[in-house]
Amino acid sequence: MPNNNHSNHTGAPEAVGYWSQVGSSPERLGFWMTLPTVLLLLFIVVFPAIMQVYLSITMWSPLDGTPWYLAYQNFDFPGQYWRALLDEELWNALGRTLLIMVVTIPIQFALGMGLATLFVDEFPGKKVFYSILLTPMMIVPAVTGLIFYLCFQSTGPINNHLGLPVSFSWLTDTDRAMITIMVADIWQWTPLMFLILLAGMLSVPNDQILAARLLGASEVQIFRRIVLPRMKSVIIIVLALRTVESFKIFDSISVMTKGGPGVQTETISYYIYRLTFGDFEWGYVAAIGLSILIGLTVLAVQLLKLGAKPDSNK
Amino acid sequence: MSSISLRNITKRFGDFTAVSDLNLEIADGEFLALLGPSGCGKTTTMNMVAGIESASSGDLLFDGKPPTAKRIQDRGIGFVFQNYAIFTHMTVRENLAFSLTVKQRPQSEIDKRVNAMAKRMSIDHRLDQLSGKLSVNEMQKVAIARSAIAEPKVFLLDEPLSNLDASFRAYMRAELKILQHEFKQTMVYVTHDQIEAMSLADRIAIMDRGKLMQVGAPLDVYNNPANVFVAQFVGSPAINLLEGKLVTEGGNSSLHLNGGETISLPPTLAKNFAKSSTDRVVLGIRAQEVKAGSQNSANEVLVHGMVEVIERIGPVRVAHVHTPAGVVKCMQGVDATHVGEALTVSLPESSCLAFDAASGNRLNYMGH
Repeated sequence: MPNNNHSNHTGAPEAVGYWSQVGSSPERLGFWMTLPTVLLLLFIVVFPAIMQVYLSITMWSPLDGTPWYLAYQNFDFPGQYWRALLDEELWNALGRTLLIMVVTIPIQFALGMGLATLFVDEFPGKKVFYSILLTPMMIVPAVTGLIFYLCFQSTGPINNHLGLPVSFSWLTDTDRAMITIMVADIWQWTPLMFLILLAGMLSVPNDQILAARLLGASEVQIFRRIVLPRMKSVIIIVLALRTVESFKIFDSISVMTKGGPGVQTETISYYIYRLTFGDFEWGYVAAIGLSILIGLTVLAVQLLKLGAKPDSNK
Repeated sequence: MSSISLRNITKRFGDFTAVSDLNLEIADGEFLALLGPSGCGKTTTMNMVAGIESASSGDLLFDGKPPTAKRIQDRGIGFVFQNYAIFTHMTVRENLAFSLTVKQRPQSEIDKRVNAMAKRMSIDHRLDQLSGKLSVNEMQKVAIARSAIAEPKVFLLDEPLSNLDASFRAYMRAELKILQHEFKQTMVYVTHDQIEAMSLADRIAIMDRGKLMQVGAPLDVYNNPANVFVAQFVGSPAINLLEGKLVTEGGNSSLHLNGGETISLPPTLAKNFAKSSTDRVVLGIRAQEVKAGSQNSANEVLVHGMVEVIERIGPVRVAHVHTPAGVVKCMQGVDATHVGEALTVSLPESSCLAFDAASGNRLNYMGH
C-alpha cells in the first residue's frame, strides 16, 4: 500500500499520523465516511428498539400525563409480560392469526405452484396473463380490502353472482367474515408466491429435466425428483416470508371488518392497534410487540435453517 | 438395439432450415459419428432422433417402423449431454439408479445393476458422494453410466468429450469404443472434432449447413472425399487446395493457377478436370502425399515455391511451401529442407483430387 511508504518517509508522530493517513487508508476513510449513516441508522433502528424494551417493563400510558422517559416511575418488570401470558383476548387474536396463516399459506402455495408450472412453458398471450396475474400484488392492501369490502356486500356482486339472498351476509356474519378476510389475503398474496416459485422453477436447468425425461421419468416423477428438490431453498424462503408477513395482516381487516363482528376477525396486529389507539396501553403494547418479534425471529431462523441444510444427509 | 432410418428429413425453425432433406441409414449396432462445424445441423439431427424435436417433414424410422412410443420417455433413447446434465442434488448412486427407480424396478435388482455399472466405469468409490462434487471427468463417466444402465436401444452422445482435458479425452475415446463393443448398441456420436470421429466411428456422416455431404467409413471419407468441404474438413494437416483455370491447347491440358503460375497436367488428371462444369477447377492433395523435389515421372504435377515455415508435429516435419497460388504443405522428403530454401514439390497424379470449383463436387470421385 502506498500509505506504508508515505509514513516511512515522513516518520510523522503517532498523533498526527492518524489524521494524515485517513485519506490513504481505505479502512479509516471508510469509517469516517459512513459514520453519519451509521449514526442515523442507529437512531432509526436501535433507539426505538431500546425504547420499546424500556416501555415494556413499565406500566406507562400516554394518558398518565408523564413523558415517556419518566416511565420508569411506573416500573413493573414481569408485570406486562405476565399480563400478556394470561390475556385471553391476546391468545384468541393470536389463534385467529395462526388460523389465517395455516389456511391461506397452503392455498397460496398450491395456487402459486400450479400457476408457476403453467407459466414455465410458452403459450400465446403469456406475457399478458403474467402481467394480469401480478397486479394484485401491486395493489395497496387497503385498496384490496376496499375491493373485497364492496364485493362481499350483501347486495354486492358475489351474492348477486351466486344467487344468494340479500339476507345472506358475509362481512357481518361471525363465521363468514373470516372467510372474506382469507379470500382477500389469498387474492393479494398468491401472485408473490407465484412470482418467486416461478423464478425458482425457471432456475432448474432445462437439460436436467430433459435428461430425466430421456431416462424414462414421467412428468410427475420429474417434478418430484428433479424440480422440487432443486426448488427447496426457494420454497422455504417464500414460506418463511409469507409466515412472517401474515402476522402483519392489518389493512384489509381494518377496511373490511374492523376486526368484527365482535372480535371475530381480530388478528394480532389489529388487537395491538386497538390497544394502542383505543386503550392507550403503550407499555403493554411494547411488551406484546417485543414478544412477537422474538417469537417470529426464532420461527424464521428455524425455517431458514431447514433450507440451508445440505442434501447430503441421505 | 435398433437400426435408425432418416428419410428426407427436413427441420425448419421459422425461416431457417437447420436440416435439409437428410437421408441416412444407421445400421443396428453401428457407431456413427455426425461430424460438422457448429451450426451444421448435427445436433438438431440428433435431437430429432431422440424425439426432443420433431421433423418438419420426412420420416424417422426405428427398425424400419415409425416410433411407436408417443412419449420420449418410452423411446428407449440413451442421451449423453455435452454438459452431462448430472443431477447434482443427488448422490452418484441415485444418479445411476435414476432410470431404474422411475420404472420401479425391485431394489435388489437396482443395487446389483448400479454396483456392476459403477465398477465397470470405475466410479464405485464415489457412489455415495453428492454428484455435484465430482470432477468433470467423473461427471462424464456418471453421465455415460447413467444412460447405459437403462440399456437403451439407441445411444446418442452430444459432443461428450469436448469439455475434458486432453489426456482424459484420449482415455475416454478408447473407453467409449470398448463400451460400444460391450453394449453392442447403436451409437450416434455428434462431434465437430474430426480426429474424434475418425478414431471412434464405424462410419462418419459429414454435414454442412443442414445438408449431408458424405457418409462413409473414416478412411473412405479421408481418401475419397466427395467434395471440397469434406476434403477440407477431414484430415490433419488440412488438405492442400490449388485453384485455377483449366486450359486445353492442342491436346495438352494445363492449369493456370491463381497467382499466375501455369502447371501442366498428366493425362488422367486432365481428363477428370475436363468434366468440370466451368473451366474453374480445384486441385486437392494431402500433405502426406506431397513429395519434395521432382520425381522425374510423367505422372506428377510440379509446383515451385519457397519454404516458409517448417512445422513439427511430433516426430514429423511439415514444410509450408509458399507458392504464388497459396501455401502447399509437404511431408515427404523434407527432413533436410530448411526455411528460405527454394523447393519444387511433386504431386503424384494418383493422389490428386480434382474438384469443380463452382459446385465443389469431386470430379474423380469413385462413389459407392
